[in-house]
This record gives sequence, structure tokens and C-alpha cells, in this order.
Amino acid sequence: MTRIGVYVCHCGLNIAGTVDVEKVTEHAKSLPDVAIAKHYTYMCSDPGQRMIQDDIKKHKLDRIVIATCSPRMHEETFRKAVAEAGLNPYLVEIVNLREHVSWPHAHEPNKATEKAKALVRMGVARVRLLESLKKRKVSVEKNVLVVGGGIAGIQSSLDLANAGFKVYLVEKAPSIGGRMAQLDKTFPTLDCSACILTPKMVDVGKHPNITLLTNSEVLGIKGFVGNYEVSVLKKPRYVDETRCVGCELCTQVCPVKVPDRFNENMSQTRAVSIYSSHAVPKVAIVDPQQCLRLKTRKKEVCGKCVQTCEAKAIDFEQQPETVQLKVGGIVIAVGSEVFDASQMPEFGYGRFPNVISNIEFERISDASGPTGGKILSPKSGQPPKSIVFVQCVGVRDKRFHEYCCRVGCMVSLKQAILVREKNGENVDIYVCYNDLRSFGKGYEEFYRRARDLDINFVAGIPSDIRVNPDGSLFFDVYERGTNKLLEMHADLVVLANGLVPSTDLAKINELFHASRSADGFLLEAHPKLRPLECSTAGIFLAGACQGPKDIPDTVAQASGAAAKAVDLLSSGEIELEPLKAVVDKDLCSGCRLCESLCPFVAIEMKKEGEASRAEVVEAMCQGCGLCSAACPTGAIKIQQYGSNQVLAQVQAACVETAGGS
Amino acid sequence: MSLTDLMSMAKPNLESRQKILDKLGGRDLVNCFQCIRCTSGCTALKLLELKPHEIEKLVNLGFVDELAASDIIWTCVTCLKCVQRCPQKASPYHAIMALRNLAVEREAKVPEEFMKAISRVLETGIAEGFQDVVSRKMETYDRKSLQLPKVFPPKESFQAVFLKALEER
Repeated sequence: MTRIGVYVCHCGLNIAGTVDVEKVTEHAKSLPDVAIAKHYTYMCSDPGQRMIQDDIKKHKLDRIVIATCSPRMHEETFRKAVAEAGLNPYLVEIVNLREHVSWPHAHEPNKATEKAKALVRMGVARVRLLESLKKRKVSVEKNVLVVGGGIAGIQSSLDLANAGFKVYLVEKAPSIGGRMAQLDKTFPTLDCSACILTPKMVDVGKHPNITLLTNSEVLGIKGFVGNYEVSVLKKPRYVDETRCVGCELCTQVCPVKVPDRFNENMSQTRAVSIYSSHAVPKVAIVDPQQCLRLKTRKKEVCGKCVQTCEAKAIDFEQQPETVQLKVGGIVIAVGSEVFDASQMPEFGYGRFPNVISNIEFERISDASGPTGGKILSPKSGQPPKSIVFVQCVGVRDKRFHEYCCRVGCMVSLKQAILVREKNGENVDIYVCYNDLRSFGKGYEEFYRRARDLDINFVAGIPSDIRVNPDGSLFFDVYERGTNKLLEMHADLVVLANGLVPSTDLAKINELFHASRSADGFLLEAHPKLRPLECSTAGIFLAGACQGPKDIPDTVAQASGAAAKAVDLLSSGEIELEPLKAVVDKDLCSGCRLCESLCPFVAIEMKKEGEASRAEVVEAMCQGCGLCSAACPTGAIKIQQYGSNQVLAQVQAACVETAGGS
Repeated sequence: MSLTDLMSMAKPNLESRQKILDKLGGRDLVNCFQCIRCTSGCTALKLLELKPHEIEKLVNLGFVDELAASDIIWTCVTCLKCVQRCPQKASPYHAIMALRNLAVEREAKVPEEFMKAISRVLETGIAEGFQDVVSRKMETYDRKSLQLPKVFPPKESFQAVFLKALEER
């Protein structure tokens, strides 16, 4: 004989303000097998939980229905409470009276109460058929893969390595450092980016727990949380990393000039070069698309670098190498890209040499950049007499990206201050803005500092930018504060290009089953409560791949993601949710439909004599139910969501009652 | 100069702007971030269309000359609400007073009422002349009937000092 306890939560007035909880409780009492039904202000509170536990013992309850908020909120709470009272935690059914009833139907309390009654009825019908399940424990690898070697990846790697975990850091560029390595100074303290980043890069290079794989890409991933198998493609550098001492003699003799990617193609380097002055590892790399010998594939061609290199480090015989790694968790930290303003012809970026992007400004302003740190107009090579910063380029713009890039305002403030510091009083500095957003710690004070330095703020964005024959620029802006149409002349226009999702995210999405949100960035498991995790277990997000971020936020999230990975792996084993797909082998026809559909690659086909049968890899299955819905023979079902359990709910929903149907 | 006001073809005058800042004895004015609280509460806005935030921004951008020659700066009723409420201590009241000073220096036309007030100060020592009061029964009283003490005009020495100060302006 089943004895069911039904508990209706008021959630303060969140539920009770709309739903008549007493009527719902009375209705529950009238249902078959319900031994007891109660309502209470806060079921999730300590007295609320204790009430359920006491009732289980006193009234010998063996099934519990709790009508409360969304199961995403408190299912775990109640399962734990019930388990403490000696009942199997999977014999609890949560009925969602808040998100499904009281909030959406706040304006129609009578109908809401009827719906609440129906949902409770359905819950009671279902709970009767639930089965006792047990969590399973699996052991985990205490290694972590970090994808991306920008400041996010660096911070995560260092935190994990210092916590005693073995870290594999994979970076596609020849050096770690990422975007931050390209910056001159950082807001709001104006400390130089290289000064605070380079020591961390060196630490990564030296740390005994970190294996650095630069010029490499993740090829594939198999396995499940705690036991991932990752293959990484290590592309050839054509330079022996163990021998190269970073003397750059090869660069001096190489005859092939190529645009310098690190300097945003504003200067030239050679086909064999070191990525940047602060590169880690400080090892040369040969560009196979540009090197004469590698392009022609002839051994007798050029070879000047080989002759010059005293360490005999140049090795044209190097082949791509695939490295297999076993890791327990993965931190994705692939960062973002800067918007390409040539998509907006009205601003003339790419056509007018004196219209530059904010990342190009960083290189111009940096002492190791193409102008040696002098701020000059690209066309004339002279210090500009007037500079205009144009905000919100490519962002807060429904034609491109709807979101706010969160850094553009502060970047322009910083760059404007740098111009004032470097070029003195003889330059007019204007910032054309929509809203100036200076929201972080010390940011508003930084904005005030900019105003104090006679940087002028013009409330309005130009519609288009035009050019004079001498390369200088002019445009009209309607200023909101003064209600005047202003004509502005500038020798240099800096576009505050927003941060946009990296093109690599499509590949990341495919490789790691990491979903993306509407803005194109990677989607966190919950926007407020699980911001560091991906919905796939064991995969964590750090930095601007999850959404545009400045350096302080990136570092905070990177440390958080590392802590989450430690939390997951430190005990050496993890518990798996038992709500998984199970296959009835006698019914399976081996059609492989489920295998092709499963987004978590959790279904494998096992040969059994002639035929093959589907098998669920329990640790990878997330219980989404796609396979179960698609299976033509009904061979796959999700635990607790079998046809009998769902149909019982449907039948209960259709029962005619006194108050309506 | 890199700015032009296309409505009047005026260019910013940074010297005049600096003069205003000097008169204010500080650079608080540049901290205005256009929250527009001053104009929201401006007593003179409702009757005379004074928009203090516009004046603030125009001075900041350097469009001072047009303002110093305008009538609008004389409409401020000096209620000082903007001084009280400004979140950046950049109150436009002081900017308006500095603009008035600049206007006088440039011998711009000062509204008649202001000139009258000055002569009243010279003659009586106070800016507003004495007025009779009317009771609820519509009876008129002057100072004498209310037995208030007689107010004497300022001494000649005050007038001399006052005139000298005016000349120095």
C-alpha cells in the first residue's frame, strides 16, 4: 500500500498570493493513496524540511510530492532532506507552482488554483510509479586541459597547477599572452599590460605542473566528466624548441618580409620570427606559407636561417604531431575577437588610413609597437592635432551585435588619457558617445580623471566620416547636451570596436558540445547561479568566450573556473546522476537513430553476433531524452520518465473535476 | 580648431573658456556629465527657458563668446538650487555669474533692470526699493505707519568705494 505525502509551499506570497493553497491541499487530500497533505509558508526552510522528515517517520510515508518552485531551484534540497529521513531520494516529485502557475497567471487567481490542483493531481499520479534509484561513483583523472592561453587561460592554469593538478595548456598562437599581451596600458590604474602579464606568462612556462602546447589545436574529444580523452594537434614550428635560444639571428637574415600579426599587420616581420618581444616560449617559428624553402619544397632553396643559427635549432623536417591527453576537466578560455569595422562602410575603416581601430591604437601606443610608442597619424606620420574616439562600433547595434561590449568606454577613456599624457596640451581630444558606462571599481574616478584632463565628451555619434584630400577627416555630430549640430575635424579617428565572439567558437561548440547563447558567446549553465560552468559536466568557462569582459572580470572568472575544476576533481571520484537513458536490448533494432541524434555522444553500438545494439555510456548521458523520443521501437527510456510514468500524468491531467477540467 | 557649430558657424574660443575657469577659481566645471538635474529643477526654466546644462556644456566645449553676448545668462534668478543639487560640484550658477562678469567686461548690453538695481544700491544701499504692504482689509502701510525705524541712504564714503569697484570692473 503506497502512502503519499503532499506538501504545498506558499513561497511567502509568491505562490500563496495567487494560488489558494488551502484549496489545493484539500484537493490533494481527496486523491487516492494520499496519506497526508499540508501547506506551509516556506517548505525549503529548516522547519519546512523537518516537517516532511517527521511525517515520513510518523506516518510511514513512502512517496513525497512537493508543490513548490522550479525543480532547478530546490529539487536537490528536498532529495537530501528525504534521504536523511531514510527514504530513497528519487521517490520525490516536485510540482512547479511558482514558475508554471503563480507567476505567469498572477492576474487570474481562480484559474491558477485550478491549474495548481491539476498539476498536483498529475504529480501524485506519477510519484506512485517512481522507482528507487542509486547514484553511481566513478573515479576521475586529476588532470585538467585549459584551452586558450590568454590571461584567462594563464590564470586558470596557474591556479590549478598551484593546487597540485597537472595542467595541459593548449594555445593556437606561437606564444601565450593573448589579447592582453597586445595592450599598452590597462585601465583604471594605467599600469602597463606587459609589466603585469609577462611575469605570469613566465610562471606558466616554468611551472612543473604545466605542460605548454603552443601552436597547437584541439582535434577531438571523447569520454565523459572526469575521464575525457583529448587529442591535440601540435603543428610544426620548424624550430627545435629545446635548442632555440631566442637570439633572433635567423629573423635578421631571413629575406621574406611578412605582415606582423602581433602588431595588427601595421609593421613587418620575417618568415622566421619570434611572435612578440615577450613571447613565452621565446622560440622562433617559421611561417610555412611564406618561407621560400617550405613554399617551394626544395632543399636547395634559401636556407639562410639554417646557416646562421648557431644552436642548430632550425629543423625543416618537423612533422605535425598528435598528442593524446587524459584529463578530468576542461577549462575553455578561448577569448573573443575585436569587431572588424570595415563591415561599416560609413566610418571608412580600411579606406581612410587615419581611421584606426582601438586594438591598432594599442599597438601604436605600445613601446614595442610599430611607431615605438609615439602616437602618430598613419597617413602623415605626424602627431595628430585632434583625435576623435567614436564609441559603440559594431555593438549596441542590431545590424551587428546587440549587446554592450562592456569595455569600449573604458578603453577609449584610457586611450584618450594616454594621448593627453604623451602628446601634451596641443591636441584636441573628443569622445563621441551614446552612454558612457564606467561601472567597475575605480572606473567612475577614471572617467572624472579624463574630464579633468580636458578630454571633451560629445553626446552623439556621427552618421558617417568623410575625408579631406590631405587624409584628415571631418564629420557632423548633433550634440544632445547643447542641441547643436557640430562639425568636427580630426587627424585621427579611433573606433571603439566592440568585442565579438571568436570564429573559433563554432569549432569549440562542435568539439565540446558547449552551447552558445543568442549573442554568439558560449552559454553558461545558469546566468546567475552557475556562471562558470558549461551545461556539459566537467567543462568550465573562463573569460571573454562566455561574454565580453575586461581584465579584472576575466581574471576573476578564470580563478573561479579553476576553483570549480578543483571542486569537481579533488576527491578523486564523482557521483553520477542516475536519471539516464536505458536500453531494452530485446527491443532495440540497431537502427542507429539514437546514436546520430545524441548531442553528448553517449550512445555506442555494440556488436552482438550478427546485429548491433545500442548501449548507453552512463557517465556521458545527460538524460536529455532525445533518444527516447526518437526510438521507433520504444527500446530506450529515460529512468523515471518511461511511458507508464508520463502517461499516468497525462491521464491525471484529463480527469474531470468539480471545478473544471 | 577641430569644432564648428554649424548653426552659427562659431568656433570654440579656448581663451575665453580659460577665463571662465580662472574666474571660477577651479576646474569643477569640466566635471559636468550632463545628468541635467540643474535644468530639471531650474526656477528660471519655466518662465525664461534658461537651460543650465546647455550653458555648462557650451562653456566646456569652448563656445563662450556667443553665450557672453546672449540675454539668456541674465535670466538666472540665483535660487542656487543647482549649486545644492549638482552631483559633480560643477554648479552652472557659478558659470553663469562668470559669464555675466565676462559680458560686462566686454561691454555687452546689460539688461536695464540690472542697471537700475545698481543705481538703487548707490542711492539707498539696497538692491530692491522699499515697498508698501497691504493688509487683508486692503489698507496700505508704509514703514513710517508701521513705526519701523527710518533707513538712511549710504554714506558718501560707501558710494565712493562702490563706484571705484564698478570702474575697476
